[in-house]
Amino acid sequence: MDIDVKNLHPLEVRLLRHVNLGEAITADRLISELDYKVGQCNQAFSWLVAKGFLEEVSRTYRVFYELTELGREQKSNGTPTVRIFTYLQSNGATSLPELAAALGLEKKDVGSAFGALSKAKVTKMNEEHNAIVIGTELPQEETIIASLLTKGLEGSFEDVDLNNEEKKVIKKLAKKRGASNAAFKIVEKEDVVFELTADGDEAKKEIIKANITGEELGNVTPDMLSSGSWKTGIFRPYGVDAPTSRLIPGRHNPYGNYLQWVKDKLTALGFEEFDGPLVENEFWNGDALFMPQFHSARDIHDVYRLKNASHSKKIEEPWLSNVAQTHENGGSTGSRGWGYKFDHEFTRRQVMRSQGTVLSAHQLTKAKNPGKYFGVERCFRYDQVDATHGADFYQTEGIVIGDDVNLQTLLGLLKLFAEEIAGAEEVKYVPGYFPFTEPSIEVHIKHPVLGWFELGGSGIFRPEVTKPLGIDAPVLAWGLGIDRMALMHLGLNDLRELFTPNIESVRTRRGN
Amino acid sequence: MPKIETKEKSFFNYLGKSYSDDELEEIFPVAKAELDDHSEGVIKIELNDTNRPDLWSAIGVARAIKNYESGEVTEYDFFSSKEQSVDNEGRELQIHDAPENRAYSIGFAVKGHVVSDDDLLALIQSQEKLCFNFGRKRKTIAMGIYRSDLIQFPVHYQGADPDKTSFQPLGMDEVLTLREITKKHPKGIEYGPIVENDATFPYLYDDNGNALSFPPVINSADLGAVKVGDDALFVEMSGPILKNLILAASIMSCDMADMGFEICPVKVIFDSETEFGKEITVPYYYQEPISCTMEQIEKTTGVKMSGEKAVSSLAKMGLYSFYDADDEIIYATVPEYRDDFLHAADLVEDVIIGYGLNNFTPEMPHAFTMGRLTPAEELGRKVKDILVGLGFQEMMYNYLGSKKAYIDNMEVSGEDYIQIANPMSENYEYVRPSVIPSLLESESISAHATYPHKIFEVGKIAYLYPQDNSGTITKNSLGFLAADSLMGFNEVSSMVNTLMYFLRVEYKLESLNEDNRFISGRGANIISGGKKIGIFGEINPTVLENWGCGMPTIACEIDLDEILSL
Repeated sequence: MDIDVKNLHPLEVRLLRHVNLGEAITADRLISELDYKVGQCNQAFSWLVAKGFLEEVSRTYRVFYELTELGREQKSNGTPTVRIFTYLQSNGATSLPELAAALGLEKKDVGSAFGALSKAKVTKMNEEHNAIVIGTELPQEETIIASLLTKGLEGSFEDVDLNNEEKKVIKKLAKKRGASNAAFKIVEKEDVVFELTADGDEAKKEIIKANITGEELGNVTPDMLSSGSWKTGIFRPYGVDAPTSRLIPGRHNPYGNYLQWVKDKLTALGFEEFDGPLVENEFWNGDALFMPQFHSARDIHDVYRLKNASHSKKIEEPWLSNVAQTHENGGSTGSRGWGYKFDHEFTRRQVMRSQGTVLSAHQLTKAKNPGKYFGVERCFRYDQVDATHGADFYQTEGIVIGDDVNLQTLLGLLKLFAEEIAGAEEVKYVPGYFPFTEPSIEVHIKHPVLGWFELGGSGIFRPEVTKPLGIDAPVLAWGLGIDRMALMHLGLNDLRELFTPNIESVRTRRGN
Repeated sequence: MPKIETKEKSFFNYLGKSYSDDELEEIFPVAKAELDDHSEGVIKIELNDTNRPDLWSAIGVARAIKNYESGEVTEYDFFSSKEQSVDNEGRELQIHDAPENRAYSIGFAVKGHVVSDDDLLALIQSQEKLCFNFGRKRKTIAMGIYRSDLIQFPVHYQGADPDKTSFQPLGMDEVLTLREITKKHPKGIEYGPIVENDATFPYLYDDNGNALSFPPVINSADLGAVKVGDDALFVEMSGPILKNLILAASIMSCDMADMGFEICPVKVIFDSETEFGKEITVPYYYQEPISCTMEQIEKTTGVKMSGEKAVSSLAKMGLYSFYDADDEIIYATVPEYRDDFLHAADLVEDVIIGYGLNNFTPEMPHAFTMGRLTPAEELGRKVKDILVGLGFQEMMYNYLGSKKAYIDNMEVSGEDYIQIANPMSENYEYVRPSVIPSLLESESISAHATYPHKIFEVGKIAYLYPQDNSGTITKNSLGFLAADSLMGFNEVSSMVNTLMYFLRVEYKLESLNEDNRFISGRGANIISGGKKIGIFGEINPTVLENWGCGMPTIACEIDLDEILSL
């Protein structure tokens, strides 16, 4: 048999070392011989039985009677019956309330004692409703009570040791619960007898062979360390696979960690981060991106408008004039423009930023050439909120400015993102459409888990976007659908989960 | 994005051969299309280019694919232009006293092909897509198709008295005035608002005085009821922007020609001078030629290609072009059904798609640039690390919320909060002015989670701020909250002290007595550099009760932008 005796608890070890095959092992024995507490006996028995080292051989039900405080008091002062009898003998007729007052007893106790005496024809109620003695001696039961009280004083006694008369009387005097108003308390005990099993004997031999005594040290205590007592002892090994308790640590949000990781990747690729306000105006949100004010292309960006602060005070120049002219007739961009009258009121109308590209447009007015910029921005869409649409959500995008950037460098950049950020195995480019880029390219990737999906959109900003904002060099623009990858990273499939207010859900969430 | 659906049979018929789904997925990108679904003989296609209405029909997509695969430009011979008009065989559309806000109507006729079930479906879908997407729900384009064999030309388009003009509209048994139609007919109720405030309503009728329609609302019950088996039709469009109408007519006529119809031009006589003259014959070609230099192509693509290659690439895109080798310029003729060439860049894109995206080689940008995070991001990360060290869980929240969450529950007036004018629902009616309500919402739904609760967010808040050009300001903000049976002012004050120590911010506290969010006398303003940079305290039990929270709660909010500016 393969027994790991090192993991036995000291209570088990000491028991096993103490007993031999064929011996009766009881709690009483452990209490007297090993100085165990009752609880320790129970622990040792249950563990050892579970391991198959001990087996139960018999179980006896026993009833004991234990004198209570009240019983002790009655032993020294007499029971109410005795005291009433004695009082009436000395003082003659007395009313029950007077009796109670004189003897310091509860009225109900006086009542029941007087009732018992009267039933035995020792007392009775006279015509004035006073109690009087009519017999000469107490009922025989009182003698038995007195002897039981005396017996109880010596210690608890067992039911089986009483004669039949005594048994009858003790039943009236003893209570199992609420024994404080009874003379005796009933204590029930089960005497369980165990014996060592063959496995137990085997374990005992192992213990002796391994020189385990059960006196090994438990917790390391400051006292132990300061006194040096540990030097003469041996530390008890613990069961290392015991269940652990739950800890609640301070933690970063795993979605936040993911976004942070994306930002770190992008800065590692030489991109500088930009950011901006949540409230934008139609000028930056659409006009500056050459989205015509009244064209259906603008419908794809249904926006939240503001009730208060509904319009910006002004739009910065020269951008306003440049952009307005570009919309109307192309201005100096080489475009024919959209050919409509630019609405200067509409352009000031404020909206919740609906696309991250707004910040790319802002960045153009202060960008360096060459320059690489990115942002992870909260955007807002007028959409029914469901598993794939949020009222607000993050977009990730950026721009690359350089005299020598072109379609091929754009494809290279997309490939880099696909591999570095999305872990793609294969990359495919297809023509796309965005109002602010020409050409427009969508990048599709083959992900090891998700299969083919659209990673993002990109393109080269139209001259109608860059020139009015003061940029003469080509500008690559790209955006990545980070949400989908974040969901996969977190093992989720509902966008709403990314912003859940549920504390427990966030506490237990792990990234991949 | 427009979506169309077509019977597989007709689509493959237009294409001239069958395609597997894989083949469709492979070829669709040349039309910026995606295969959405293909089941039970029906193909659903999603179109990504919102500037290419010619692709919003199965025939249009089929044409683009055929051009791409054959490299041959589809030619149409029924277009008139400024220089020359095709014989209209006497058919005319005359405009009189045009309605003020819908000045134009144009049209053409077709014959020689019997309308089948599938044709009818396709025509209705084309009409629908053009009017709904391109025509902004009929606001800028309304289209009607009529049985031309019943029409006595010339057809007349006129601004009519809405109360004195009447006919029997399609789908109704009685004769109604135009105004009654806008009130009673389902289409009148839907589209009537486009014209209902105008003095006169658009009215189209033939020379016998028979009604064709009340555009943009409804056709007449007889001339306007096209059905399977008809073989002669009149197609008419009306609206406020003539150029859009001409393009829509060009698209419809090319589609119908591809379907097998012979196109019969109609001369349109306007009631006043237009950008295209007083009269035009429709279908009408108005597009200007477009050009780009080889240098532009090379600069945009990074590839030096030959002029011949550019020309053949454009042919695949349906563009006839000519390479001027002396000046190294490509001159292209814009197809009749397209009007999306605003800039040379648009022509270059067609060269790129025709050339094939997969024939370009990905390359890395060469210039060195420095990667960098914003100062706010760097500070935010430092703050997050300290809070995590203090045992807090980072949360992330939506920035839109309800009046109940941000105002009512918080016992504040909300007078400087940003309100959405067109909320999707009352759950998203305000922009978050503070992180604290978000944190309390967490607390309110998380009573089952083991205490103590210690949560925080570093995020943005925004509120009204008249000094700014936008009248609003967006701030980077830290909010944290802790709830437990023994959580109080001393605990939060210690947390603030620890945070400020590690951020190296010297601060003092001022007792806060008039903020309903906190228990009076148990809140404090955090002052640094003479400015208020934050606030903290014990959350008022009234507020806790509003949120349904049953645990003592403290909260703190700190303006990280103020800390950055210290």
